[in-house]
Amino acid sequence: MKFYKDHYDVIVIGGALAGLSSALMLADKGKDVLVLERHNLPGGIASSFVRGGIEIEAALHEMMSIGEKNNRLKVGKFFDDMGVDIEWLKVPEAYHASLPGIEVTLHPGLETFAKEVDAAVPGTYDKVLRLLNLCNSVFDSVNELSIHPMSKAKMLLKHEAFVKTAGYNTQEVIDSFDLPKKAQDLLAPYWIYVGSGFSDLPFTIYSVLMADYVGYGSYIPRKFSHEMSLKMAERAEAMGVQIEYRQHVEKILVRDGKAYGVRTARGDEIYADYVISSSYPNKVYTSMIEPASEVPAGAIKMVNGRRLSLTAFSVIMILDDTAEHLGIKDYSEFRGDTMDTDALYKDLAGLGPYRYLTCICHNLGNDTATPPGTCSYSITTLPRVDGWKTVKAEDYDKVKHQVAKQMIDDMSAYLGVNLLDHILEIVIETPMTVNRYTNAWNGCIYGYAHTMEDHIIARLQTAEAESFIKHLEFSGAHAISGDGMGPAVTNGRKAAKNVLDTMAAEEASK
Amino acid sequence: MKIKGFLKDVTGASRVTKARLSAFANASAKPEATDPIADVVKEWHPGRLQLVVTDVREASKTARTVRFARADGGKLPFFYAGQFMVLDFEIDGAVISRPYSISSAPYQARQENGFVEITVRRSRGDGFIADYINDSVKVGDSFTALVGCGQFYYEPLRDAKHVVALAGGVGITPFASMAKEIAGGALDCDLTILYGSVSADDIIMKEELEALKSEKVHVVHVLSGDDPAWQGEKGFLTAELIKKYSAPDTTYFICGPQVMYTFLRGELKKLDAPQRRIRFEVFGQAKDITTFPGYPTELKDKTFQLTVRRGVHEDVIPAKATESLVVALERAGIRIETACRSGECGFCRTKVLAGSVYICPENDGRRAADRDFNYVHACAAYPTSDVKIKIPIE
Repeated sequence: MKFYKDHYDVIVIGGALAGLSSALMLADKGKDVLVLERHNLPGGIASSFVRGGIEIEAALHEMMSIGEKNNRLKVGKFFDDMGVDIEWLKVPEAYHASLPGIEVTLHPGLETFAKEVDAAVPGTYDKVLRLLNLCNSVFDSVNELSIHPMSKAKMLLKHEAFVKTAGYNTQEVIDSFDLPKKAQDLLAPYWIYVGSGFSDLPFTIYSVLMADYVGYGSYIPRKFSHEMSLKMAERAEAMGVQIEYRQHVEKILVRDGKAYGVRTARGDEIYADYVISSSYPNKVYTSMIEPASEVPAGAIKMVNGRRLSLTAFSVIMILDDTAEHLGIKDYSEFRGDTMDTDALYKDLAGLGPYRYLTCICHNLGNDTATPPGTCSYSITTLPRVDGWKTVKAEDYDKVKHQVAKQMIDDMSAYLGVNLLDHILEIVIETPMTVNRYTNAWNGCIYGYAHTMEDHIIARLQTAEAESFIKHLEFSGAHAISGDGMGPAVTNGRKAAKNVLDTMAAEEASK
Repeated sequence: MKIKGFLKDVTGASRVTKARLSAFANASAKPEATDPIADVVKEWHPGRLQLVVTDVREASKTARTVRFARADGGKLPFFYAGQFMVLDFEIDGAVISRPYSISSAPYQARQENGFVEITVRRSRGDGFIADYINDSVKVGDSFTALVGCGQFYYEPLRDAKHVVALAGGVGITPFASMAKEIAGGALDCDLTILYGSVSADDIIMKEELEALKSEKVHVVHVLSGDDPAWQGEKGFLTAELIKKYSAPDTTYFICGPQVMYTFLRGELKKLDAPQRRIRFEVFGQAKDITTFPGYPTELKDKTFQLTVRRGVHEDVIPAKATESLVVALERAGIRIETACRSGECGFCRTKVLAGSVYICPENDGRRAADRDFNYVHACAAYPTSDVKIKIPIE
């Protein structure tokens, strides 16, 4: 029986946001695309599940780069352009910060945000707004330069803020503003969404984070991230993409330094001119390339020279009362007993107690999230994989319950309500859960850490030299733009663009 | 603008690029293929395993317990007491899967010469697989199986310390597993099993349950039939009876036949137990779909055409109106992945490309967006016209 065509233009390994973005863009340009997804539904962790008849978001806290309907940012615009019509709900606040001596809710909009920081720390308005404007200027440059690269000299003239902050970590730039500590603390909570302490986080990344989230607010799909993933998949199929679920790609076939197909666990050998991999480069270069002799030493040195970023630990609960009755006031809350991001980052290498928690109450951003009289509440930390790598299979259940209990107790104490008395359904997601459903390398959801040694600008500069196997592209959190569901889309588009550019160049040289 | 000084400011991009290149130059060239996270996942969720029958014994006059070990001698996966396993049966070249609650304890699976057991009652004319297990399965037979599925298990962060299990008939099996796990010291809760049977002869695993009784495990048999010699509890699992064995804070776990669920929903309402304290196991494939609300009974004798797309391949097979899409596929020898066969787990998620289906309203565990785009769980979807579907290639 023949389940596949003899040949495709492109095979995409992985039907999550990045892979589906690649597929959409390639199909839009008339390419014949096959997506092979290991799970039986699209989206990877951008998904949902049903427990006790209630649908529960698996991973999405807030989606960046969407923007208002008439003023879309790049990801929102891409969805619109591709005909992926998602019902976006705007998250009401930026975040509630619950830090030592601070209980403040901040809202999106650079000026609004600066005003609210000023209300908490008087006399800081001008400096905070200047910092946010600097972020915004870097953000604009990043967006423009990703489409229209230019010479260094010209860049200095047109993109001064971008150029002059490129070599600095976040702390160095923030220090140059001479802000009181409390104001600095209020500007830090989003750090966890890029996963590096400020002394190692490129200011470029901090800028994008703040300008995007604070400047334009964030969004969630009404029917959870599965709505987004499924609509992308449905649209791709309508555009002629073949998507096959439950197909686990084991090998990428390479000949003379060029990828030409894949082999699945079922044993199907499928051929294509190009392969886009959502599997981590670590996995691809250490066990997927066939024959292994096609892997250049440089590729191994590259993956060994990079540091994996964060994974996820999330306690997701359906509670048997409303947010209002339980005293939960905000959609998104960051709670920490310090805002020293370097110290927190160090802690994330362990197994808890974790001192920095992100809490999401979906009902406060989505009035149809759960049945009346209930609410959905999750407590998340994004640990490094280091601690979790030491957990043995026989201790796994115990460790996961201990960590979850600690997090529930912490938030119960804060809310003044024992959450344990209200649990209708509970799901504990761990790095192992991530690996189980997505096969992500070491259960990592964030790709490689954004650091001063693995800077996004350097990634862009050296990208071509790191294309070790021809006609093989990477698409996922491990690609240039890094972690997050918004960047996943950008990473997917970039991989597709690389394929299209190579196709055009090879066509031209014929 | 100035951060530290003009020269340092403008050379940032080259500095970070050099840093990156030197980090790679200094990195090891030895491939590091280890993924300890994936290793743990493989021990918990290894996927389908080859099992071999190592023992078969009577569990009552009408039921048998079958013991399995891994054919390759390896360790069985971890699971939770109360979960089920999916067994694949190859019959006339077709693969048919069935879920069975595991009646042995998780700790027994992990010990030396570990095993899992299922206990299956001879059907009353409605399940040829149950009869096959009772009549034909013997030591040495081999099966593929997926061990450890489902959401029916004790969760210490959610459930009360005191558990009352309401069991009917062969629904005793998940509670036998829990009782054994408690006896083995691997599960910490107090369990009182109220076990409803018609007559003393019908009680499954009677001696085994007797041996498990302890301070933490109580077993109370409740007979509904007329037996003058019976000294114990009589009648049905009424609110009054349940209350007698409940603590102020009790979680109720319920497993048994469909009719018992309807009855118990009413009884539990009388107890005023909060919703979070009541947990029903899914009850498997609907016995007679035509009895469910909204089923178009005028179609019940029809057979429709089912077009099945897998990749670029298509087959056309017959599908009876009263049988789920999964059954039609299995009859035609087309493999589809299933687990719970109750519409809950979503293993058999299937896209309906054309035509209409009836979805059993009590078994609709779909995601909202899946409903919008005509995805169904094929084990709980019944054709009401000619239908075209797309399923994964297995």
